Amino acid sequence: MTGIFTADAENRGLVLDPRTKLAVMITLVVFALGNTGSDIAAVRYATIALCALPMVLLFTAKKYKKSAAAGLIYGLMKAAEILLVPKASGAVLSLIGVCCLVFVRLLPGLIMGAYMLSATTVSEFIAAMHRMHVPVQITIPMSVMFRFFPTVLEEFSAINTAMKMREIRIGGRNSGKFIEYRLVPLMVCSVNIGGELSAAALTRGLGTKVKRTNICKIGFHIQDAAVLVLTAAPYVLWILGLTGVVK
Amino acid sequence: MKTAAKLSNVTFTYSNGEGGALSGVDLEIGRGECVLLCGCSGCGKTTVTRLINGLIPHYYEGSLEGEAVVSGRNVSDTPIEDLAGVVGSVFQNPRSQFFCVDTTAEIAFGCENMGLPEDEVIGRINKTVADMKIEKLMGRSIFNLSGGEKQKIACAGAAAMLPEIFVLDEPTSNLDLDAIDELRDIIADWKNSGKTIVIAEHRLGWLRGLCDRVIFMEEGRISREFTGEAFFSLGADTLCSMGLRGIGAEQGYLESETGLHAIKPFEHRGEIALENFSYSYGAHKALELGSLSIPIGSVTAVLGHNGAGKSTFARCLCGLQKGFKGRVVMDGRSLRSREMRRLSYMVMQDVNHQLFADTVIEEAMLGADDSQLDRALEILEKLGIAQYKDRHPMSLSGGQKQRVAIASAMLAGKKLLVLDEPTSGLDFGSMERTAELLRSLEKDMTVLIVTHDAQLTERCCTHVLHLENGRI
Repeated sequence: MTGIFTADAENRGLVLDPRTKLAVMITLVVFALGNTGSDIAAVRYATIALCALPMVLLFTAKKYKKSAAAGLIYGLMKAAEILLVPKASGAVLSLIGVCCLVFVRLLPGLIMGAYMLSATTVSEFIAAMHRMHVPVQITIPMSVMFRFFPTVLEEFSAINTAMKMREIRIGGRNSGKFIEYRLVPLMVCSVNIGGELSAAALTRGLGTKVKRTNICKIGFHIQDAAVLVLTAAPYVLWILGLTGVVK
Repeated sequence: MKTAAKLSNVTFTYSNGEGGALSGVDLEIGRGECVLLCGCSGCGKTTVTRLINGLIPHYYEGSLEGEAVVSGRNVSDTPIEDLAGVVGSVFQNPRSQFFCVDTTAEIAFGCENMGLPEDEVIGRINKTVADMKIEKLMGRSIFNLSGGEKQKIACAGAAAMLPEIFVLDEPTSNLDLDAIDELRDIIADWKNSGKTIVIAEHRLGWLRGLCDRVIFMEEGRISREFTGEAFFSLGADTLCSMGLRGIGAEQGYLESETGLHAIKPFEHRGEIALENFSYSYGAHKALELGSLSIPIGSVTAVLGHNGAGKSTFARCLCGLQKGFKGRVVMDGRSLRSREMRRLSYMVMQDVNHQLFADTVIEEAMLGADDSQLDRALEILEKLGIAQYKDRHPMSLSGGQKQRVAIASAMLAGKKLLVLDEPTSGLDFGSMERTAELLRSLEKDMTVLIVTHDAQLTERCCTHVLHLENGRI
């Protein structure tokens, strides 16, 4: 199952520090989604380069098809935005305009989000939160949540299978209780698993007074530097543009 | 011999009414000893393991009398986190004993909690991983591992904390035979390095030659003690009378030729023909049976090693495998996936997934209309669960839940019943009742059982279907 934060070491591609990924994400939101500084040509080019980054990262994680498809859609839409939008008018303009808006602005952010979730492990995430001085009151519940997500999904899919065999579905004769029938077993299974999980964690010393250590080593490497330079570029160009140094 | 753990006159009752209370248990376990606790479900063997690892009284609440001393410390007065470095625990359910999502972090988890320096933790992980030869499993997501692989990681997580005592509570319930062999090797290594090992188990065969002493429990008391040698030379009849599973039952299993064989005389009443039963996951051919006929009213055990395609076969048969192109010919009608889903029903290994309603009777009636109430009561009577008809299905025992699921399948008019490992974790008595029930269904349904339980097969199956590598 490929889910949230369930990265395997062999298929996660280029290893970046979680904080680098976060910086890329924020920058994508500011420049691609927010369209900040789009009146400055240099910023526009830097943004395009930045938008290509999630596709490249996805490519290194061996998600070739997804990466190529996303790259193709982004390329086509960006081309349409530059070449067609200025010439179109009326209904055609709204149609192309909306498509471009969705794909050009939103797609890179979505791809980056998907990459972040599939290529970061929970321990890396927690270690990064520690480094950013987020308190344990927030990180421990979050790590439990991430641990539980895939489990609940697994349970949910098993329950779905069971419901199919019983022909309980929307529009069937039990549709009134459709949600109840789904939630009851889900709750029971989740509570059982939760209880057993707590017991197992206790026998392994969770909650000792001593300060926990963490073997997960995160840190900035050469690849982080390269990505961060690319990430910093739009900001720098934007400031230079605002002060009139570049156009 | 020095004492590793000692229970003196321990009496314990769970405050939530859970079965497995103890009354006046005295038990001394020597250092370096490997002890097996056995007995029927609810005899208290799991409770003993919980006293040793401190989950009783620190997690499971109840009234405790008497004294449990582990490694010189009174369990009641020692915080459970201080016992963590002394007692390592491995539990039954591989789905619910992991705190982390990736394997390396999981093995590190216990050591990190003890606050060991990072280098020390990494050193211990490397040593444990090398000892157990699980280099392949490092850095993986727990969710992409098989049950056997998960159980190895659980063992590694416990071993990395370098405990003196290992406690295992039904560690093989969800494992196939190959995985059990590997688990056995791990435990043998622990034993050779002088660790104390306490195992509570239903399945006994794999422990032959491993256990020094066997404690047989009944109704919360220790009723008999054996040396390992004496216990494993007991005959099958003696074990049956003690309510225990056989100890040689799993030998010779899977030595038969692949294909469908009759193992009992059987009155032929027509066939269910399976056509084009092939399925691939991407390039991997998971199933390649071609055509096959299953006698109507038979009880067939589906056997095979891990990855033989048993569960894919079961899913295809129940119309649950997306993109499956084969079909089933029953009573002269050719059925595709959707219609197969209407006529077949799978009892899952975790039956909790398939009980939806508030009461047993409502659950049974879910797929039927109100005119069938009498028939429903009749079926519940036949399956021996009529007295629970107004109880919540979730409040029943595992075996009873299974019966509720079977009752609902019968009422929904299902013709083909597929059970996935119905006896994993059941003691001898429950297994026998399940076998009897399945045998009695022949008038109503054709039954297929995906199982590695040779005793169940011997008791109720008329045929055996042996798969290997998706083929017969």
